[in-house]
Amino acid sequence: MKRFLLASAMLFLAATCGYAQPKKKTAEDEYYPILRFDLPKGEVLEGGGLEMMPDGKVAFGTRRGEIWMVENAFDNDVAKAKFTRFAHGLHEILGLAQKDGWLYAVHRPEVTRMKDTNGDGKADLFETVTDGWEINGDYHEYAFGSRFDKDGNIWITLCLTGSFNSSSKFRGWAGKVTPEGKFVPTTSGVRSPGGVGFNAEGDVFYTDNQGPWNGTCGLKCLTVGGFVGHPDGFKWYKDPAAKYLGEAPVVPKSKSRQMIEAKKIPEFYPTCIMFPYQKMGNSTSGLDVDLSGGKFGPFQKQLFVGDQSHSTIMRVFLEKVDGKYQGALFPFREGMTCGIVPARFAPDGSLFAGGTNRGWSSRTVGGKNFSLDRIVWSGKVPFEIHEMRAKPEGFELTFTKPIDPKTAGDANSYSMKSWTYIYQADYGSPEVDHSTPKIVKAEMVNEKTVRLTVDGLVPGNIHHLVSGGVRSAEGAGLLHTDAYYTLNYIPKQ
Amino acid sequence: MRGSRLLWAAMGLAFVAVSPLQAQPKTTPHPVLSGYERLFADEKADAAAGGQLLLTELSCVNCHRVDGGSAFLQRQGPTLTDVGARVKRSFIKKFISDPHAAKPGAAMPNVLAGLPEEERKDAIEALTHYLASTGTPKQERPDGKQVGMGGDLYAKAGCVVCHGIRDGSGKMITMIPTHAPKVDLKSKYTIATLAAFLENPHQARPSGRMPGLLDGKEAKAVANYLLQGIPFAGSPAPKTKGTTNFSYYEGDFGQNLPDFSKVKAKKTGVGQAFDLGTSPSRSNYGMVFTGVFQAEQDGEYAFHTASDDGSKLIVDGKTVVNNDGVHPKTSKSGSIKLKKGVHKVEVQYFQGAGEDELEIEWEGPTVSRQDFSNWVAASEEGLNNKTPVQAPVAKADEENYPLDSKLVAKGKSQFGTLGCVNCHTGKDADKAKPATPLAKLKTEGGCLANEPAKGIPFFGLSGQQKASLAAAIKANASAKPASEKESIARTMAVFNCVACHVRDKIGGVEDAMNKQFVTTQPEMGDEARLPPVLDGVGAKMNPTYLDKILDKGVRDRTYMLVRMPRFGAANVGHLSKDFRAIDTIEATPKVDHTLAMPKVKAGGRHLVGAQAFGCIKCHTFAGKKAEGTQGIDMAVMAQRVTRDWFHAYLLDPQKIRPGTRMPSAWPKGEVFLTNVLDGKAITQIDAIWQYLSDGGSAAIPVGMNKASIPLTPVSSAIIYRNFIEGAGARAIGVGFPEKANLAFDANDLRLAMVWQGAFIDAARHWTDRGVGYEPPLGDSVLKLPNGSAFARLESGTAAWPTKSAKDQGARFKGYKLDKEDRPTFLYSFDDVSIEDVPDAKPEKDAVHIRRTLSFSSEKEVTDLYFRIAAGSKIESLSNGWYRVNGDWRVKIEGGEPQIRSAGAGAELIVRVPLQGGKARLVEEFGW
Repeated sequence: MKRFLLASAMLFLAATCGYAQPKKKTAEDEYYPILRFDLPKGEVLEGGGLEMMPDGKVAFGTRRGEIWMVENAFDNDVAKAKFTRFAHGLHEILGLAQKDGWLYAVHRPEVTRMKDTNGDGKADLFETVTDGWEINGDYHEYAFGSRFDKDGNIWITLCLTGSFNSSSKFRGWAGKVTPEGKFVPTTSGVRSPGGVGFNAEGDVFYTDNQGPWNGTCGLKCLTVGGFVGHPDGFKWYKDPAAKYLGEAPVVPKSKSRQMIEAKKIPEFYPTCIMFPYQKMGNSTSGLDVDLSGGKFGPFQKQLFVGDQSHSTIMRVFLEKVDGKYQGALFPFREGMTCGIVPARFAPDGSLFAGGTNRGWSSRTVGGKNFSLDRIVWSGKVPFEIHEMRAKPEGFELTFTKPIDPKTAGDANSYSMKSWTYIYQADYGSPEVDHSTPKIVKAEMVNEKTVRLTVDGLVPGNIHHLVSGGVRSAEGAGLLHTDAYYTLNYIPKQ
Repeated sequence: MRGSRLLWAAMGLAFVAVSPLQAQPKTTPHPVLSGYERLFADEKADAAAGGQLLLTELSCVNCHRVDGGSAFLQRQGPTLTDVGARVKRSFIKKFISDPHAAKPGAAMPNVLAGLPEEERKDAIEALTHYLASTGTPKQERPDGKQVGMGGDLYAKAGCVVCHGIRDGSGKMITMIPTHAPKVDLKSKYTIATLAAFLENPHQARPSGRMPGLLDGKEAKAVANYLLQGIPFAGSPAPKTKGTTNFSYYEGDFGQNLPDFSKVKAKKTGVGQAFDLGTSPSRSNYGMVFTGVFQAEQDGEYAFHTASDDGSKLIVDGKTVVNNDGVHPKTSKSGSIKLKKGVHKVEVQYFQGAGEDELEIEWEGPTVSRQDFSNWVAASEEGLNNKTPVQAPVAKADEENYPLDSKLVAKGKSQFGTLGCVNCHTGKDADKAKPATPLAKLKTEGGCLANEPAKGIPFFGLSGQQKASLAAAIKANASAKPASEKESIARTMAVFNCVACHVRDKIGGVEDAMNKQFVTTQPEMGDEARLPPVLDGVGAKMNPTYLDKILDKGVRDRTYMLVRMPRFGAANVGHLSKDFRAIDTIEATPKVDHTLAMPKVKAGGRHLVGAQAFGCIKCHTFAGKKAEGTQGIDMAVMAQRVTRDWFHAYLLDPQKIRPGTRMPSAWPKGEVFLTNVLDGKAITQIDAIWQYLSDGGSAAIPVGMNKASIPLTPVSSAIIYRNFIEGAGARAIGVGFPEKANLAFDANDLRLAMVWQGAFIDAARHWTDRGVGYEPPLGDSVLKLPNGSAFARLESGTAAWPTKSAKDQGARFKGYKLDKEDRPTFLYSFDDVSIEDVPDAKPEKDAVHIRRTLSFSSEKEVTDLYFRIAAGSKIESLSNGWYRVNGDWRVKIEGGEPQIRSAGAGAELIVRVPLQGGKARLVEEFGW
């Protein structure tokens, strides 16, 4: 409780600057308040990368190519945070990772690792780890990087040239940088990524943005030899570094559907989570997994994904069906200070998120064009759908709190719509293939779980469930009633 | 029901039974009307509605009058009062003889088809003489320079939507059934007359089925594109004045004219004097023109050249005007004393990118300043040739025979008696021939007969078209529209609006044409590429603005390359009211602002700016560029759209335009910026509306004008890795506090540039999305050789390799920074590791850049060379200094540099003197 009070006091403090002030306290604030850092005066810290340093500092990489170290970043009094510039001069940092005393920065031309060898608090040695991809001067050729995976690799996603074509080497690819500093391209089909990270099992995921071959934004799984949607990078299968992957996949047919093409193209890993355009943001970005063991509340091992235009953090539950990840997307937190790019969990179980709206418009609080926020758990458990699993006959929902059998067990407490997007070379897609699956039955499985029998499931469609009528055993409604399940595959059992 | 797709046809009309259709052979070129082919060519389509379209589009109702008056959307045929000045005489004859042979798919019937052969021939002759008597087509010299622009306009501005896809040479490559009939344009028009038609199609065709799309300059370009290779009657004969010999060269010649004697000409010949149109390319080419001219008297002659890019004029081997270099159109002059007699002239020209132009004038004792090209000839023989132009070349007889006044008079009379005048305005033409009123027509025989008959126009109708017409006649479908909805649907079909627009789920871009719709802003998606859906347009657009769009066309969506053409108010102006009669939107109540209007507008201005919703990131404002995508200009919005629509759209963009990329600033009505104005969505939206109502005179939104961000090293150096012009995409800029700077190219391991003074302006990369390369901010920018700075050579005479350093096995390994952030670059070339310490060193003349290169290698390497400089000229000075291009100086310590020739210039290289695996070179620049 003390923690919550502090957080809310900080909110008030943060509200005193800028032309526009933070909007009124929302229901979300009660469970997950946002602490907003005051950034150093006169400096421009546009969020690009975040990493937690072993000495307890938070490293904040910026689009202007600087890295700032934040001391006392875990104090709930954000005024105690101290920002010191650690490095400058890099080329749009979109990934930070630390290991063995080195801080690795993924920026446009390369992965650079740096350290402070003389202990003056500033990096003085910058080593090129790899430059295994190329750039041609196009601003869209971004490079995003993950933290280290369990084998010591950094995963990289490389935006297409102009976000449309692969005009430079390995544009539109993902790959890993090995501990030996070798860039190994692993996956083709990337378009315009927004972040890359892992789930609790250590599998690799990244977000991609609506555009050609992406009807809407998505969370996609990166596998060695996989293909994730945009075929323009196929030319690089012939490059010596990618030769080990064999021939390029079959080029998908435009104006089709992902699941139709996935049946024809074995390498194609369909989008695990589709983010309905404008309903759940419109530019997905950084992601991280909650491995805090409960310090961030009930959503352990789930993914949290940012959005740069809606300035939100969304929540993702993943499960494997037919050997492929898919799952449900839930609103989690809106009102972040600025458009989110990096998001990273801290060892204390709080979630840091960096913001920037440069070049793209974002919802902002206080008209801020860049930001560093920290979401903490107040200790109160919100009443939410915790997990949403696909079942042969419908879905199974597990809630964060015991449910009221009368409302939760009533099919009329729920409604569902489904649709998908065209898989095409043209930019984006309208919502298509609309249907209204009917929830015919809602049965209690246990005090927190209900099973929905649904008539008319459509494989390949987003299933938008609204659970407006459900009440907790205590009589409360859901904090967020919407859930979006990307039903690529219907489980057989 | 059958009429459900097009309600007007179902309205009040009985179901029309259609007898089984006679299948027409595929080869029959039935009249092609785009709207009919799109909506009614299918047997399942509404026959009566299709017939209704044909009644106007085949001009049935021009003879078979409706209630003695004009029908709705009645189509007037082309005005023929001046057709002789517009269309070639040979084409007039060919077209009258058999319109369907001259233009397969023509709507014009063969009026003479049923006449006995002699009578028919006489009529053709008489009509041709009559029509030809109205004028002679103007000739115009083809201008090859305009072909590229014309082709681009044809493909992108919208011609292609109705007229088919053509290749770069103007040849048709793809036509779909809905495309307008194709005609051999070269047989019909000259460049001048096609251009005039394209600029103002409604002058010749007042009914507006062919809308206006192009301005005069563009029309000329498209005419040049479509009529490529047309014989030109005014082309100069090779042996006359007005000609030169030309040689055409291809290549990127860099900054200056090349030595053309060392370049191989791609093409040579004789042509119009100094005509760049002879070049098939518009970029990266060169031309040399030679000829002779006569000086009438001894005296001083001045020559003036205006060129883009560089040129040089040489008389009798002496350069008179040097207009060399890459530049926009620039005028230079020079003069020379000449003796009376014949002199030689040579003009050299080269073009990089952008515009290409060359104009030459002269003046002298006997000539006032004027175009020189009329005075020059390719050979001496030509100087004396009095005929400046050759007689017309192609089919001269067909175009130029004398007209017979008796035939003209007969044709004029037949123009009336044969019924031409029912559709066409003719010069002093006689009156019309009466025909059965539409209401009394039978549904077979006559114009619907399978064979031509005397006195009956033959249309070559398809079975479906006959069935459609029969159905329409039976249903009395010629009536004026009974509702606005019907009026809209009929108008959109007739004017082929459906080729671009959807309304009521009818029409829209056809799949086969989808790729032809392009945008300058692909990231905006289809919204930026495909013309808008017209559902709700009546509620969206301001009435006067919509009137203007329908009348004159519009280009507010500057990113959308297809244009809304001009259809003319008289033709489609009624749509404006029709749309408004149907389309409604919830009215937004008036907002009673508590603040004074200037404060309200200031609030609106704040809301669209960078500190609030950032509308300026994706919308231009009064022509000022946005940060990201360049969406529709905000300053025209209040003029274009209604206030009600504006409110509804801003409140919920997805509801109004499903799939739009426009985000919602008040999602579900929720207000984010609660302390702006009264914190209500309606007030805030209205404030934006009030602000935008000032149009282009409103104050620019906050955040739109970007300030510069100069990076200024004070006590430490500044590192700036970004796209630096002259140093590549992977440049590392270093600004030293001593006010000398450098840019290192990490791909080629080369020092790319050094410069004095200010370091760099980061605004390009640190505002907006960071598009493009930024040049140094300071002065005296010294550019060093492109390509790898290191190479392993067999000997000091081996050519410097062109492969990039990275491809030669080089690796950039990073850098160390000292206490003042001064870098030591670390890299390797093959087996040799290199530490490169640049620094700034104030000297008497200027701040020098001094660079210490330390080499180390485990292996014995004796063939590693370092290239210090390259230029047109390198001289050795005292104390180890060298002068490059007579301009800047460089010094090398620790090795034995050698000057060697390289191509047309010189190089300064040094072998890296590795001994015991170590070497050290010190390089110093003074400039």
